[in-house]
Amino acid sequence: MAHSHSIVRFEHATFGFPGVVALQDVTLEITSGEFVGVIGPNGSGKTTLCKAILGLMRPLAGTLQIFDCACEKLQCHHRAKIGYLPQKGTIDRNFPITVLETVMMGRYGVLGLLKRPGPADRDIALAALSHVGMLDHRHDALGHLSGGQQQRVFIARALAQQPQVLLLDEPTTGIDIVTQHSVLDLIKRLHQDLGLTIVLITHDINMIRLHVDRLVLLKTKVYAAGLPADVLKPDILSQVYGKDLIITDKDVVIVEDYHYHG
Amino acid sequence: MLELLSYDFMQRSLLAAALVGALCSVIGVFVVLRGLAFVGAGTAHAAFAGVALAYLIGFPPLPLAILFGLATVWVTGVMEEQGRMKLDVSIGILYTATMALAILFIGLMKTYNAEVYGYLFGSVLSVTSEELHIILVLSVLVLGLIVLFSKELYFIAFDQEMAEASGVPARRMYYLLLTLIALTMVVSLKTVGAILVFAMVLIPASTAYQLTHSLRHMTAYAAVIGTTSAVGGVLLSYAWDVPTGPAIVLLATAVFFGSVLFSPKRLRRIVA
Repeated sequence: MAHSHSIVRFEHATFGFPGVVALQDVTLEITSGEFVGVIGPNGSGKTTLCKAILGLMRPLAGTLQIFDCACEKLQCHHRAKIGYLPQKGTIDRNFPITVLETVMMGRYGVLGLLKRPGPADRDIALAALSHVGMLDHRHDALGHLSGGQQQRVFIARALAQQPQVLLLDEPTTGIDIVTQHSVLDLIKRLHQDLGLTIVLITHDINMIRLHVDRLVLLKTKVYAAGLPADVLKPDILSQVYGKDLIITDKDVVIVEDYHYHG
Repeated sequence: MLELLSYDFMQRSLLAAALVGALCSVIGVFVVLRGLAFVGAGTAHAAFAGVALAYLIGFPPLPLAILFGLATVWVTGVMEEQGRMKLDVSIGILYTATMALAILFIGLMKTYNAEVYGYLFGSVLSVTSEELHIILVLSVLVLGLIVLFSKELYFIAFDQEMAEASGVPARRMYYLLLTLIALTMVVSLKTVGAILVFAMVLIPASTAYQLTHSLRHMTAYAAVIGTTSAVGGVLLSYAWDVPTGPAIVLLATAVFFGSVLFSPKRLRRIVA
């Protein structure tokens, strides 16, 4: 792998709204080429972290550096370097749009104002669709696809930005278990084949613990960050999850999590 | 029927109707998709209050209509952004408050003024050539801006947060969209009137929504449906001697119900 450099660097950064602290004193660095999993219970600040990385939230205290740019000065062309898959459920299933039109939207931010997408952009969008195995569906209506297929299309839209980082907010929530695995396989493949830095936010520890290079455990602050084996220790996890946690002999972690959309 | 076209007033009203029909239906696509239906209605009434004030103080109606329309959409946008109030509540308050202002201004006028009512109910047959010029200039401006920023406007209609995250200046585009909605309402006041203009925004776009799964096709269909119903409505109103505004809107409504009955989306659902 090429020489790794810093993609996102939080230093003692605090995020929230007046009177509400969502994330406190976060110090964390994500470097290029990593596959980082961000875990934590509901309301632990996972989505806040996601918005911060996208440059949509400024730190109330501390600093946040995204690429070579301080967060406050984050320019639009920097944002395009981060491909983002929002949580499922924020999408209107009946929106009249074809698969290819959806993926083409990934080009819009990169192109900037007043520039029309051309044949080169179309080729990039088609290549992105082919990466996720949805090329044959390019003329289908987005609303006619299954949940797993829609996730693939939205990943293709993120890829069409030709990003350095793929930021995925609960990509496997709300889809069946077989599809969850195929979406995760796809993400791993994109990490390996395209050398993308992956930041995957999830409440499902079992799903990702075997795949990530590093885990970040959040609950309003960073409780632990490091190799999965170092983070998934009973004494650390019980602080965060309390009684909802069972750890079996084989070090398999089961977290009872009844609520989605953390 | 052809001799009809030789009348100056008929040429003017057909052209005005076609322009307004096209403009309303194209902006309507974004209004329907972004869920801003109520904003359009509120703005039309605010613009009408501007017109009423203009007649009361003896001022040209256009600048005040634009001022009232823009002030309303921008206040609505800020209120939504700050999340203090749900959008439908804040626009509901502004909607009725501006209508109350309009009624107040009309009440303060010493004499009955039929022209003001023209803006309320629409009177396309009385469009002057000066008004036609204004409609033309503003229509070209609004449609031009929509074409220029179409990719951004589509993106924020689909998913504003996603658009912002991927580097589109989504917030500025949202305010541009609100501004264009306000201008469209102002342009259309004289033709279809403050009460009915809203139908011209919603109906063609909703009809097109029934017919296609593609964004671009939806816009094209909406423009065709909007323009033909507006022109058809003017011709019907002349032929049957009925008011123009209702003729246009009822014709568009008939087309809408037709599209619901024969929607490929719906048929597909029944088959599936």
